[in-house]
Amino acid sequence: MIKIVGVNHYYKQPKGAVRQALNNVCLEVPEKTLFALTGPNGGGKSTLFRILSGLLKPGSGTVSLGGLDINTHPLEVRRLLGVVFQYPALDSQLTVMENFQIHASLYHLDKSVLERAMAEDMAWAGLRERLHERAGTLSGGLQRRVELVKALLHRPRLLLMDEPTTGLDPGARKAFWETIFNFRNRLGLTVLTTTHLFDEAEQADRVAILHRGTLLADGTPDSLVQRLGNEMIVIHARDEEVARQLEHRLAADTQVTVRRRGGEVRVEGATQEIVDDLLRQRQGLFQDIAIKRPTLQDVFIDMTTQAPEDAA
Amino acid sequence: MISVISALAKREWIRFFRQPHRVVGSVAQPILFWIFLGSGFSSSFRAPGMETVSYLEYFYPGVLLMVVLFSGIFSTITIIEDRSKGLLQGVLVAPVSRFAIVLGKVVGSMGIGLAQVLLMLVAIPFLGLSLDVTGWLLLLLGLVLSALGFTALGFVMAWNMESTAGFHAIMSVFLLPLWMLSGALFPMGHLPAWLNSVMFFNPVSHALQLIRLPFYHPGGQLVAMAAYQVALMVTLVWAGLCLALALWKVSRMETGVAGP
Repeated sequence: MIKIVGVNHYYKQPKGAVRQALNNVCLEVPEKTLFALTGPNGGGKSTLFRILSGLLKPGSGTVSLGGLDINTHPLEVRRLLGVVFQYPALDSQLTVMENFQIHASLYHLDKSVLERAMAEDMAWAGLRERLHERAGTLSGGLQRRVELVKALLHRPRLLLMDEPTTGLDPGARKAFWETIFNFRNRLGLTVLTTTHLFDEAEQADRVAILHRGTLLADGTPDSLVQRLGNEMIVIHARDEEVARQLEHRLAADTQVTVRRRGGEVRVEGATQEIVDDLLRQRQGLFQDIAIKRPTLQDVFIDMTTQAPEDAA
Repeated sequence: MISVISALAKREWIRFFRQPHRVVGSVAQPILFWIFLGSGFSSSFRAPGMETVSYLEYFYPGVLLMVVLFSGIFSTITIIEDRSKGLLQGVLVAPVSRFAIVLGKVVGSMGIGLAQVLLMLVAIPFLGLSLDVTGWLLLLLGLVLSALGFTALGFVMAWNMESTAGFHAIMSVFLLPLWMLSGALFPMGHLPAWLNSVMFFNPVSHALQLIRLPFYHPGGQLVAMAAYQVALMVTLVWAGLCLALALWKVSRMETGVAGP
């Protein structure tokens, strides 16, 4: 559904300088996949999102959606797309229905098609009673769900979302994602979402990690987590100096992989002997020691601490 | 394309009428301005060659122009708000022509100004002015062309503007002098040569001529008058130029560079 080949993008800076935002990004998203593009702020997610939504022309490389090049077939590609932006794209002065009517005009929808889609979609999203309310009077969570319904009224094949749950409380986030899954199952959508929330990314079929404009990893959440093994020890040392000493000592053991970030030390592949030894030293040196299964966040931390500095 | 233009224009109207303070301010401000300034200068002002015309009457076409100018241009301020909220991006990712986006916004914004002007036209019989049918049509043509050109100018200015405060500042420095030097407040002629030149090259002066002349000449004669023809041509070219600039702005896609 989405094919990105060799995309580089630099932003012009004052005095003729340039800043690299994307570094030779190659990515494929199969049809009907829920794909999460994750990474830290400034990692290149928003640049890639703007390229995919047709708002930004890449410096080099090709991007095609549904087999159509976005540069040579912009209008056809836009018909395939539903887009939910990070910032609210509803007119707060207009009712929900009036917002939908404008969207229907932009996508050349017949009145009957619009009415059917509105009735179905608002029911699926649990918003049936809200059609005649002004968008500005709805809560942040409801507005986001209304935006989702609006983005899908013209029945796009691909839904693009840019950090869609930013600013929502946990309950509203949960409701939003339930609505996404509901629509995805009913409409057979391909969904690409950017997010810096790893618990959201873990719900996706596939995840890509973008850091300093470079694609560090791309795979299923399980396959990415498997890279760190089954379990790891996470130690929070009393201070950074203690953590540094511990890192040096453990790194001497060829059986384990040690990563340190500030006062936190992560040990992968530790033996029972090492665990016992650590527990004996706990008094006064460590705040806590925990054994845990790795998560996407751990994968991210692992990869970004080793990432090259070339694409800033 | 028509449905896109009308949908975007309708949105501007709904937004306008759902903000009562904006409606009251837009309607009351030019009327108060006209009455206070017109009455205040009535005893001391006589335009050369128009000695029988009161200042209230002289100032009237200028106020009509002020309404289409200021209302049209300031309505385009919503472009800046739309961009900061994400509404503009929502329109730009839709499969519609860029020209429809420009026209939808411009037609909606200029329509708000024209509706206010229509309210002000009620004053015509009270000023002792009259127009024949052709005169009415030419007056409306002048108002529509002026509104089109200057609203499109507002669109161009607002497109790259980051804040509404910046837009207000630029417009106060740019728009107000343009209007003041159009002949709306005082006539051309008995002025320093440099000021006459500035006023002649000011497109707002020609827009004002299109609005003022139908009040004082029969419509049939007007179309044959050189002064009217020049004003019409200048305003037409100005409106076309501003629309073309607006289209160019919207069509220009942000592009990065391939490498250092």
